[in-house]
Amino acid sequence: MGFAHLHVHSEYSFLDGASSLDRLLERASELNMPSIAVTDHNCLTGAIRFYDKARAMGIKPIIGAEVTIEGGYHVTLLCKNTKGYSNLCQLITHAHLCNRNRESFASKEALRQYSEGLICLSGCGQGELPALFKQGNIEKTRGVVRFYKEIFGDDFFVELVRYPSRDGVIGSHRLADFAKEEGLPIVATNNVHYTDMEDYRIKELLNAIDRNIPVSSLSGNRTVEQYLKSEEEMKRLFRDFPEAVVMTEEIASRCNLELELGKPRFPRFDLPDRENDYSYLTKLALAGVSRKYGSITCRIRQRLEHELDTIRKLGFCGYFLVVWDIVRWAKERGIRCQARGSAVDSLVVYALDISNVDPVAYNLLFERFMHPLRKEPPDIDLDVDRRRRGEVRDYIYAKYGTENVACVGTINTYMARGAIRDVGKALQMPQPIIEEACSGIHWLSASKLMEKADTLPELKHSTIYRSAELAEFFKLCVAIDGLPKHLSVHLGGLLIGSGRLSELVPLEWSSGGDIISQYDKDDIERLGIVKLDLLSLPTLTVVGDTIANIKKSWQLDIDMESIPRVDPKAFAMLRDGKAIGTFQLESPAQREMAGRLLPDRFEDIIVSISLVRPGPLKSSMDKIYLPRRHGKEPVTYVHPRLRYALEETLGVILYQEQVLKVAHDLAGMSYAEADGFRRAMTHDRTPEEMEKMRHGFISSCLKKGVNQKTADRVFEQLAAFAAYGFCKAHAVAYAELAYQTLWLKCHYPAEFFAAVLSNQPMGYYPARVLVADARRCGVKVLPVDINKSEADYTVENGAIRVSLRQLKGMSEEALESILKARDTGDFTSLTDFVLRTNISRNIVENLINVGALETFGSREDLFAQLDNLLSLKRKMGKFTKPLFGLVEHRPDITGKGDVKVKMLLERELLSLALSAHPLDFISLDSSFTSMKDLPSVATGRTIKIAGSVIRYQTPPTRNGNRVVYVIMEDGTGIADVTVFSDVQERCGQVLFREGWLEVTGKIQRRGPRALSVIAEELAPLNRNEKPGL
Amino acid sequence: MSKLIIEPILIHLDDNKTKMSFIWRKKLYQVEDILSWWREPAEWWDGESVKYFLRVNARNSSVGTYELSKDDKNWFLYRVLD
Repeated sequence: MGFAHLHVHSEYSFLDGASSLDRLLERASELNMPSIAVTDHNCLTGAIRFYDKARAMGIKPIIGAEVTIEGGYHVTLLCKNTKGYSNLCQLITHAHLCNRNRESFASKEALRQYSEGLICLSGCGQGELPALFKQGNIEKTRGVVRFYKEIFGDDFFVELVRYPSRDGVIGSHRLADFAKEEGLPIVATNNVHYTDMEDYRIKELLNAIDRNIPVSSLSGNRTVEQYLKSEEEMKRLFRDFPEAVVMTEEIASRCNLELELGKPRFPRFDLPDRENDYSYLTKLALAGVSRKYGSITCRIRQRLEHELDTIRKLGFCGYFLVVWDIVRWAKERGIRCQARGSAVDSLVVYALDISNVDPVAYNLLFERFMHPLRKEPPDIDLDVDRRRRGEVRDYIYAKYGTENVACVGTINTYMARGAIRDVGKALQMPQPIIEEACSGIHWLSASKLMEKADTLPELKHSTIYRSAELAEFFKLCVAIDGLPKHLSVHLGGLLIGSGRLSELVPLEWSSGGDIISQYDKDDIERLGIVKLDLLSLPTLTVVGDTIANIKKSWQLDIDMESIPRVDPKAFAMLRDGKAIGTFQLESPAQREMAGRLLPDRFEDIIVSISLVRPGPLKSSMDKIYLPRRHGKEPVTYVHPRLRYALEETLGVILYQEQVLKVAHDLAGMSYAEADGFRRAMTHDRTPEEMEKMRHGFISSCLKKGVNQKTADRVFEQLAAFAAYGFCKAHAVAYAELAYQTLWLKCHYPAEFFAAVLSNQPMGYYPARVLVADARRCGVKVLPVDINKSEADYTVENGAIRVSLRQLKGMSEEALESILKARDTGDFTSLTDFVLRTNISRNIVENLINVGALETFGSREDLFAQLDNLLSLKRKMGKFTKPLFGLVEHRPDITGKGDVKVKMLLERELLSLALSAHPLDFISLDSSFTSMKDLPSVATGRTIKIAGSVIRYQTPPTRNGNRVVYVIMEDGTGIADVTVFSDVQERCGQVLFREGWLEVTGKIQRRGPRALSVIAEELAPLNRNEKPGL
Repeated sequence: MSKLIIEPILIHLDDNKTKMSFIWRKKLYQVEDILSWWREPAEWWDGESVKYFLRVNARNSSVGTYELSKDDKNWFLYRVLD
C-alpha cells in the first residue's frame, strides 16, 4: 500500500505556493513516491514542465488544478486522460474569460459541460461539500453530493484534509462518517503548499504580498502542516481511515494522461479551389522567384525545389502560407514587415516576400533554418512597424477567429529589487531601509545580490547587506527569488491554433486586456502549437516616417530597396563614430568597432553586427579578424577545403552557417547532419558527449583524407565557436535595416531625426542626446510653438520643430483639442488659445513655461493674464467637459525669464535642453577638455571631462572581471568612458549613484578612430554648481 | 475547563525513549498516555519558531491532563486541563 499526494500547489499557484516544481519533485523522489499531482489555483502554467520533469525522474505526473466554482468554492480536479486535460483547459479558460477584472470562477454549468475525463475531489475546507457540512446544513450538503455524483459518478471523492490542532481532527471524522452514510469514497490529501514545514513562512509571506497587507495581519486558520508529508506521516495521520490512504493509489492509477508533445499543430489555411498547400506554396514561390530574379537559373531552381521538397516532407507548407498571407496583407496596406532570424536563410521565405534578403546572393544556408532531421516547427519571426502592429494582429484574429488566436503568456518572476520591496512591505520594514537595500542594484537576482554584496564596488560600501539584524530579511528575499509573481503578455508572441485554442491551452486575461496563454513560449513549443513572433520594431516605423518626411520636404519618393549599396559619405559617417540614432550601429561598442573596422562596404556591417556580441568579444575573435581585414596579417586556412566556407570572413569562423559548411566540406556531413552537429555543440554538453562528437567529427575527416592534426585543430575552433555563434541570416537582415537608417541619417538628417524623436522611446539614447546629435549634424532644433508644433516632430525648412507631445503631462485628448482648434485658424493670443481649447490649467502653464506661447507675450505677462482668463472661461460655461490632462506636473522652478531658468524649465518639462546646456552655467576650469575636442587629444594623454551619465553597460569579459562602460555627454559631444575593476573599487559609490560626473582618465585608441577614456578617477560633479539637478 | 500556565519544565526520557516524565514546580509527573499532538505557527516575523504541543495524561499523586509545549529550545507546561 502506498500513498500519492493528489492536492499539491506549486510555485505556479502564484503567491500561494512556496515551492518550485523542482523542489517538490526532488522531495517526492526522496520519499520514493511513484506518483504526484500538481493542482494549482485555476491554473495549469506549470503543467507541461511538471509533466516532463516528473517523467524524466521516473515519477508519474498527475495534471490537475484546484478550480474555483460559483460561490467561491474550490474543487480539486485531476485529469484521467487527454479528454480530461482538454476539458480542464476549457474549464479554466471559461473561469477566467467570463470574469474579466474580477475573481475567476467557473459556473456549475461549465463544470458539468467540461467534466468528462476528470476526477473530482470535494476540495479543501473551501470546498462546497465540506463547507456546507461544517455549517451543519445536511440537507443542502446532500443536494450538493447529488450534483457532483450526477456529474462525476464514481470519479467523485470526498477529500479529507487533516491538520492536527488543539481541537484534534474531529471535523474530518464527521465528514468521513457522512461520506460513509452517503456511500461516497473518501481520499486523504494534505493540500500541500510547500515542500518542507519551515517554508510555511514563505507561503504566509507570499499570501501577505498577494493581499497587500503586513504579514502580521494575516488572519484565518494559520498552519504549518501543508508540507509534502511522507507516506508514513500520512498513514499515521489517517490511521483510523486507512481506506482514505489506499484510495490515493487507486485514483493515481485512474490518471493516465499521455500528452502528445512535440507534434506540430498547424492552423488550417484556406486554399483556392483545386490547390493543396504544397501546390499553392510552389506556385507562389515560383512566381516570387521569377519576379525577384527575372530568369530562374538552374542553381536557383534546384535550391527552390530542394527547399519546397523539405517543407512538404516536414508538413510545414501550411505554416509558410499562413505567414505569407500575414505579410502580404500587411505590405498591401503599406505596413513595413519583414522576417528576422534564421528564416532569412530560406529562398522560399525570400520568394514569398516575407524577407527582403536574397539568400543566394549572401550565400545563406537553408539547413540552418530547417531540415528533415530537425522535427520541431520552424520559427519565422516577423518585425513589424511598431505603430501598426495592432492592425496586423487584428487581421490575424479576424482571419483565424478569436477562439483560435491568443497572445503568448510570459511568467514574471522575482528579482532582487522586487523581492526586497515586497518582502520589506510585508514585514513593515522602514522605507529608508528598503530604498537603501534597493539602491545600486541593477539586474540581479536576490541570491546573486547576497553573493555579490561583498565584492561589487557599488554594494560593498553599504553595510546593509551584512547587517546581522537584517540577515533574516535578506534570507526571506532570497527565498522568494525566482518565484513566479504573475503572468503577463510576451512581447511579440501570438498563438494560432489548429482549432479552438482553449482545448489545448488554458487562457486568461492579461492586466492589459489581452487574452494570453497560461503557458509560456517554451511550453507552447513543446505542445507543437504554431507561435508567430510578431515583434514591434520602431526602426521600421522610423524608416517609414523618414520617407514620409522626405516626401513632404523634398517631394521625393525614396525606395529603400534601390538606395546605393556603397555610399562613401554614409560609410565615412559610420567610421567617424557618428551613428547615434541608427539601428544596431549606435551603441558605444558598435561605434568603437566602426573606428577599428573602418567599414567601407555592406559586408562590413554584417561582420560588425556579428562581432559586437558578448561571445565573439569574449573569445577575442575581433583581434584575429581585424588585422586580417586591414591586411596586417595574412589570410590563412587550416585546410584548403575551408576556403569556400571561410573566404568571406578571411579564414575566421564568424557565422553559424559557416559551421555547417565546414562540417560539410571537411567531414563530409550533409548540411542537415552538420546543423545537428552545430546544435549539439551549442547546447550544454557533458565531457563524454563532447568526446563523442570529437571522435565522430575527426573520424569523418580522416575518411575524407584530412590528417588528424588538422581535424583536431578545426574541431577545437568549432568547439570554441559554439559559445558565440551568430546567425548570418539574422545579421544580414539587420544589416540591411542598419544601413538604411545610416543612409537616411547621412543624406536626410532633419527628416531622420524628426522621425527618430517622434518615435521615442526607442534605441539607445534619450531624446536630449538625439537632439544634441542632430545639432552636431547641422540640423537646427526649433522650440515648441503653439501654432507651429504638431503632435510629432516636424521638419521646417531643414530644421526640426519639437513636438507638442514632448511636453510632460500632455494627454492625447489635450493634443487633439489643440490641433482641432488650430484647424480653424492659428491662435492669435493667450485669450484665443484658452477660449478655443479645452485643456487643463496645468498644461497651459507648462506650455507657457517652455515658451510655446511666447509670441503672445513674456512668460510673466502670460501668467498674469491666466487667472482672469480661466475664470472668464468658467463664467462663459466653456468648461463643459471634464478637464483634460489630469496628470499634474508643475515644475518647482522660479525666477525671471533668463536663459538659465528657460533651460531648467525645458529640461524639466521637455526632457530637452534647447536654450542652453546645464554645463554652460558651471565654471569648469581650463583643465577640463570638452568632448568634441577628444579626437584631437593624443593617445595616452591624461584628461579631465565632465558631463551627465547617459547609460551604463557591463558586458561579459574574457577573464570574468567586470568592466563598466559609461556613456557621458557634455553638450558638445559624447564620451565613452571605460571603468576597470580597480577604479570601480575606489569609486564604486559614485559610479552608479551619480547622474553627473567628473572623470579623470587616459585617452585610449583601440583602432584608428576608436577612442575611449580609461577612467582613473571618478568624482561627482560639484553638487552646488549643478544647476537644478 | 483549563488553566493557562506557560511555565518552564524539565523533561526526561528514559534510555529507550519510551517513557517520559516532567518536573513542574519541583514535582515529578510521569506521562502515562499521549492523547494528541500538534504544531502551531509562530510569529516568525518576530523571531519566534514553530511551537510543538503534546496533550498528555500524567500522574503525580493522581492522573491529570496537561498540555506541554516546546519551542526550538525549551519545554513548557502550557496548560492544565480539568
